[in-house]
Amino acid sequence: MRKPLVLRHPSILVFLGVLAVFTVAVTILSTGYGTGPISTSMVKTLGKTLCLALAAVAMDLVWGYAGILSLGQMAFFALGGYMIGMWLMVARTEGIVTGTLANLPIPPTDTEISAAVATQIFGVVGSDQFPLIWAFSGSLWGQLLMVVLVPGLLALVFGWLAFRSRVNGVYLSILTQAMTLALALYLFQNDSGLRGNNGLSGLQNIPGLDAVGQEKLSIWFLWASAVALGLGYLLIAWVASGKFGSVTRAIRDDEARVRFLGYSVEGYKLVVFVLAAVVTAIAGALYYPQAGIINPAELAPIASIYLAVWVAIGGRGRLYGAAIGAVFVSMLSSWFTGGRAPDVNLGFYTIKWVDWWQVLLGLSFVLVTLFAPKGISGLVDWFEGLRPPRRRGAALGPDMGSLREKEAVE
Amino acid sequence: MRLFLLALAFVALALPFAAQAQSPDLGAVIAQHRDQIEKPSRQSVGPVIEAIAASGPLGAALLQAWGDRLLAIRKSDGLLVITAPDGDGLTLTDAATGAGLGAAAEGDVTLLRPNSGVRGVISAALAGNALSDPDPKRRIEALDSLSRRADASQLALLRQALDDPDPALAARKARLERLLTIQYDPDPAARITAIESFGGDSGLDFRASLNPILTTRRVALEQVPADANIARKLSLGSDLSRDEAYAMLVADGTAPARLTSDAMRATLAQHIADGMVGGVSLAQLGDQAARDRAYTALETQGIVQPAASEAEVDAALSRYNFLDLYAEPDADVTTSARAALRGTETRIGLMQAADLSLDALSLASIYFLAAIGLAVTFGVMGVINMAHGEFIMMGAYTGYVVQQFITDKTVSLIVALPLAFVVTFAAGVALERLVIRHLYKRPLETLLATFGVSIALQQLAKNIFGTQARPLTSPAWLDGALTFNDVVSISYIRIAIFVLAMVFLGLYLFIMNRTRLGLEVRAVTQNPGMAASMGISPDRINMLTFGLGSGIAGIAGVAIGLFAKVTSELGSDYIVQSFMTVVVGGVGNIWGTLAGAALIGFLQKGIEWFNPANTLAAQTYMILFIIIFIQFRPRGIIAAKGRAAGA
Amino acid sequence: MKIYSTALAAALMSVGLAGASWAQEDTIKIGVLHSLSGTMAISETTLKDTVLMMVDQQNAKGGLLGKKIEAVVVDPASDWPLFAEKARELISVNGVDAIFGCWTSVSRKSVLPVIEELNGLLFYPVQYEGEESSKNVIYTGAAPNQQAIPAVDYMAEELGVEKWALLGTDYVYPRTTNNILDAYLKGKGVAAGDIFVNYTPFGHSDWSKIVADVVALGADGKKVGVVSTINGDANIGFYKELAAAGVSADDIPVMAFSVGEEELAGLDTTNLVGHLAAWNYFQTADSPDNKAFIGEWQKFTKNDKRVTNDPMEATVIGFNAWVKAVEKAGTTDTDPVLDGIVGVEVPNLTGGTAKVLPNHHLTKPVLIGEIRADGQFDIVSQTDEVAGDAWTDFLPESAKLDSDWPGKKCGMWNTETNSCVQEKSNY
Repeated sequence: MRKPLVLRHPSILVFLGVLAVFTVAVTILSTGYGTGPISTSMVKTLGKTLCLALAAVAMDLVWGYAGILSLGQMAFFALGGYMIGMWLMVARTEGIVTGTLANLPIPPTDTEISAAVATQIFGVVGSDQFPLIWAFSGSLWGQLLMVVLVPGLLALVFGWLAFRSRVNGVYLSILTQAMTLALALYLFQNDSGLRGNNGLSGLQNIPGLDAVGQEKLSIWFLWASAVALGLGYLLIAWVASGKFGSVTRAIRDDEARVRFLGYSVEGYKLVVFVLAAVVTAIAGALYYPQAGIINPAELAPIASIYLAVWVAIGGRGRLYGAAIGAVFVSMLSSWFTGGRAPDVNLGFYTIKWVDWWQVLLGLSFVLVTLFAPKGISGLVDWFEGLRPPRRRGAALGPDMGSLREKEAVE
Repeated sequence: MRLFLLALAFVALALPFAAQAQSPDLGAVIAQHRDQIEKPSRQSVGPVIEAIAASGPLGAALLQAWGDRLLAIRKSDGLLVITAPDGDGLTLTDAATGAGLGAAAEGDVTLLRPNSGVRGVISAALAGNALSDPDPKRRIEALDSLSRRADASQLALLRQALDDPDPALAARKARLERLLTIQYDPDPAARITAIESFGGDSGLDFRASLNPILTTRRVALEQVPADANIARKLSLGSDLSRDEAYAMLVADGTAPARLTSDAMRATLAQHIADGMVGGVSLAQLGDQAARDRAYTALETQGIVQPAASEAEVDAALSRYNFLDLYAEPDADVTTSARAALRGTETRIGLMQAADLSLDALSLASIYFLAAIGLAVTFGVMGVINMAHGEFIMMGAYTGYVVQQFITDKTVSLIVALPLAFVVTFAAGVALERLVIRHLYKRPLETLLATFGVSIALQQLAKNIFGTQARPLTSPAWLDGALTFNDVVSISYIRIAIFVLAMVFLGLYLFIMNRTRLGLEVRAVTQNPGMAASMGISPDRINMLTFGLGSGIAGIAGVAIGLFAKVTSELGSDYIVQSFMTVVVGGVGNIWGTLAGAALIGFLQKGIEWFNPANTLAAQTYMILFIIIFIQFRPRGIIAAKGRAAGA
Repeated sequence: MKIYSTALAAALMSVGLAGASWAQEDTIKIGVLHSLSGTMAISETTLKDTVLMMVDQQNAKGGLLGKKIEAVVVDPASDWPLFAEKARELISVNGVDAIFGCWTSVSRKSVLPVIEELNGLLFYPVQYEGEESSKNVIYTGAAPNQQAIPAVDYMAEELGVEKWALLGTDYVYPRTTNNILDAYLKGKGVAAGDIFVNYTPFGHSDWSKIVADVVALGADGKKVGVVSTINGDANIGFYKELAAAGVSADDIPVMAFSVGEEELAGLDTTNLVGHLAAWNYFQTADSPDNKAFIGEWQKFTKNDKRVTNDPMEATVIGFNAWVKAVEKAGTTDTDPVLDGIVGVEVPNLTGGTAKVLPNHHLTKPVLIGEIRADGQFDIVSQTDEVAGDAWTDFLPESAKLDSDWPGKKCGMWNTETNSCVQEKSNY
């Protein structure tokens, strides 16, 4: 009888504990349910950050554990947001439209309601018809299912094609990047049926919950995001810990050897890729109702690269590292660009962080990659006294995604 | 109608020129039309110009100045003056009398700014006489003006002035005369002769004079008049849908409109009584069938107008003939014009294909130029450099900075090209030494680190040059386009980029295959250990190769900046496409990169041709195609074979 | 470990912020919500500076209601969700009384729900596609009937254009504007075949085929005109290709709605002389107010070559209207200010006055300019003030809509059914 998962990996318990304490603390300090020092916009930012952390944890499964540097993860994230956004828009508009049409002397037919809703939603793109892809948008459960199904299917088809043809390493990275670029360009078109560059907006107003108020809703979403992060973390930790996880890590370090041992490398990769896509999509579905608007710019290739960078800065191959990286960098980024960081006066030149933050961020990627491959979680190893194995500079395996000597733990 | 009025105005205008009538006092004319001169409008300025022109040579001078935007009002006394630039100031002449008024500063006068429509009318008014002006420049201007707008009266003037000392101009005049004959000659036979004289000509101007003859309008007639010049009889169902046809009848007022659901609802709402309409309760009316029942009930009670039924629609449609009629009454002319136009179709189609191919070739060469640096760093060395786009940007900014110091565009370009190479070569070497060297076996980490460099460089460029696009202007000899005919043309700057791309292809082949450096590069790429033991320093070679790739990117940047724009985001626009070009073509082979660029360029233009309204769709489908293509040919079009494949 | 400390830091940070907002009650705060980084920084930074200059000037005049005005500048970084987040922060954390900001339509649509929820006040300074009228937004830029329709009329009447090429970047402003123009032109008897439409992506640079397509339109023997709603950087490549193809303004005039003095600074205009732009303001407008404004602007930016443009004028008008409304209401609270602002008149920089209308749009003169060799515009046409129309009359769905905030308390009033379609905006 093996010990339970959480006892084998105490970091899981610590992570969940910190998450719980954090969520409760924010709630107590919030405007909606507590004393009020944390503003609603801050609560929203924190809730969104938890969603990003979940996406980063999923990214870590793909990259840190399976060695696939996918630069298209945000496509799944945004697709999740689009799927839930469709229901939010339709349900909200339907409420408004039925309210208006009820004032007419003659009660409206279903066709008239549907046409009026379509005019409201697609008026901005000069259309008054529901496109085919909105078929299930009237039903919350239908769209919730789509949140999982659409990104999952995309990942399945894309992954199956790519892994089957043994596209890997850098090629796969560029291909995933092309995937998200193609999707973004497609969505940018007005004819795409998802309102082009305008995207879906007003998502923070949850139909039927108008009376609740954003200060309370933001806390609800914070809790939802925290629960999703907790569960997602557990699930991915469970997947990555058992025999399945061992095979996955072996594929990361030396794919050919695993294949010769008789494992279906493609199958393993595909499961990991699809699972990560689904988790990312769920994170996206929780993120965008807090952000309020989703548009194709969210799928730009650069967003997915940032996701990879967060994982790298947090520490690849440890789930808590990915979460820490996402939280740390995105919070720091919002602090610097929010104009809150004090300017540095050098006498001859004043450094305004709004202008220089990107430069600092860029250079810190370089430095972390070069000198601190473990990223922030290296601090944890140092604290715990864990050391990398001595392999005379050799990586754990010949593959591109394999862990480096300095990244591994003995 | 409008054209006709204009024509009338010109007839009236041209007569005084011919007759050299005695000139009324220009001063009086100016005073009378003062507000029209200050704020002219194309549609009402005709009579004013006519009156001014009628006043003799002074009037013509005034018109000329007016058209050239040299007419002004002196602020001190409101006098209308003709200005001529003179050093920093202006020399003034009284427009009414031609008397010199001496020099003045620019601030002393308010220049009149007639819009280009008015200036067009002015130059057309002057054109008739300018056709035999001794100055060839004026004659060219007059011809330009006439080919833009002409009318029957000017055909007569042109025929009088057909002789020209300059044979090229004489030919232009003769061609214009035939074109105007097609449009304005009263004699159908002359027009047909003129049409046929063009043979298989496919010029834009020729088609532009044929098409107006062939304009049609769609009519529904019960009786077709015998003299109608019918272009096409429309059959219901195939050429014209029943709904469209009936809508025409409704628009003509010859048939009652059909009942729309909105109209039905409005009518029902008007007849609500005690919560019922036509015996149906209000609550039930949220259903189309119930509404139909209610409406029929109202119809049978005779309260509402019966809506047109299907049978009535059919009956109405069968009574009418639906036709396309030519506006031109003469059937022979339209037949001849149609035949001539049809004769040009194939040629035009071929020429359009040729033009599209040129565009595609040009796009391919741009992609190739952007990607060739990558073909070195990624293709040969296997280094993923996400900052490659920023090297392109640095090259473009180098070009911009050089132009700030050297105003002569040609010289600045000659300086900028090598300087861009030097700058980006140095940047590349620095990047290689500081970052990439440590990550040679770790391409994925290289990707992330260079991405960091990329965003840092982009932001640096913003901090230094601002977020505005910066001008990078090509020298005058690169302005304009190489025009084969009205359809096929390509701008010189694109040709220059194509040539540059070819030069780099040659250079690359030369360096890789014919020089010691190339030999060493190939050796280091295939087996660094073995190369090192043969006395080659892999470090040095890697550094030089990376520098070379980066330097080429810098030169590409100057070229791309010349044809597009110089902004800090210039590089990121090209980076994904560049990587795809290299990957599609096949890594490690320059011919592959060439094939990849050609594939992408031609594919994109091909898709654009299918859907000209949406360029974004073309890019989307192009990338989609590439994704699918790579699934089936993961190693690209030209796959590396043998040992190199594993490297 | 780390997460907890981050959370702690975040909590402390917000405590500090909230504290800051309690501390200084003796100033009136306004928010500046313009991107200072990212793709839109190119246009929006100028407007941030304009607001700061107006604040300086107002404070030099003694402030407002006896208090100094303080501008709170945030950077939404061209990231649309961030606009909503920052707007919420400005209103609920910083406690600003009015926000000056947004450029793109999508950023405005992102901010709208937040502004309406928290009953804020936004001054939106850019020409836009219309089809919107929010209680909490004052639209100081042009609606389509104040830019697009008069410009097209000018082309038809003054230039004799009979065949139209509507070229635009693929997003909502060009799409909606072109839909309106399409309906308008067809209503004037232009055949469907005489309207060519093309959409290109943001930052498009390969224009040869599109320019060739436009030139080929001339084969019909009708005068061709281009209406360009091409946005930002993409214009540079477009105009360069036009110049290379030898398309002169006399042959095919191009009327641009998004090209102003700032955009022309990025290219050599000698080959573009005579092409057109339609705005409500040009730097070359000959009026004492404008001269003074240009002087102050160049002094403020310490650059005697800095150009001014239309959205800057709209910002200035918006700021002045807000100041007047606040003085009239005697408070900075949103509702009294909104009640007071309708009917307020402030001078335009081009002469004449801008009046805030019940539909929260302004009256504006329409100016048509021809591009000069020095990157400025020759004003060849200037109309009297035109009243901005929130709902265009040329699309059937919106022709029946009307907006009247003081009278009907509704921005989307259906005149057929005489009922308010919705009170909050359609975002």
